[in-house]
Amino acid sequence: MLVIRRRAGETFLIGSDIQVELLEVGSTQVKLGITAPKNIPILRKEVHDTRRQNEAAAREMSTLELAQLARHFQK
Amino acid sequence: MPNTPTKYFGNLEYRNEDVIQFPSGIPAFEEEVSFLLVEAADRAPLQFLQSMRQTSLCFLALPILVVDSKYRLELSSEDLTSLGLATDRQPSIGTDIECMAVLVTPETGPPSVNLLAPIVINRRNRRGIQAIRADLTYSHQFKLAAAAVCL
Repeated sequence: MLVIRRRAGETFLIGSDIQVELLEVGSTQVKLGITAPKNIPILRKEVHDTRRQNEAAAREMSTLELAQLARHFQK
Repeated sequence: MPNTPTKYFGNLEYRNEDVIQFPSGIPAFEEEVSFLLVEAADRAPLQFLQSMRQTSLCFLALPILVVDSKYRLELSSEDLTSLGLATDRQPSIGTDIECMAVLVTPETGPPSVNLLAPIVINRRNRRGIQAIRADLTYSHQFKLAAAAVCL
């Protein structure tokens, strides 16, 4: 992992299109300003992870699988 | 009683109070704003969130306290507001709200639940959200005891 130190007001680039500015440094949070092309989705990681989990959770299950699953939790 | 087609229970009669409104949908399924909460005795403790719009979409969930009896909620004031709950305290599970974890059952490997983002339903107004925590207390992929699972 690359680690860089920046102060409020300073900026760094990811590639040549994505610019991240450190806007504000608080005691428990920092505020970032991100400039990126429209086609690049920017999501908080917890939102991204939850979207992925929901997509996986939506998969088709057979009745047999479901019965086995229920039985497992009833033990 | 009205009835609706479901993914796992065929055509199901339901009571209006079992329909939960998710005003902003749930992440990755933002258009799905209306779900039927189904609890079938022979499938307990599994819970089913059946989309009212798409028969093929049904999430499985477990009551969060079944997964972790000490689970501590940490709803943001935005989440409390959108549920229509008081923002000065955390609601109590089972009294003010129902709280469940979405279950993921991969084809191979143990099932997991998302404890990072529980489904929270206000029992009074039947509004729901999937409340994503910003802290790192709980995993989005909490594995349920592998040894006990025989799928």
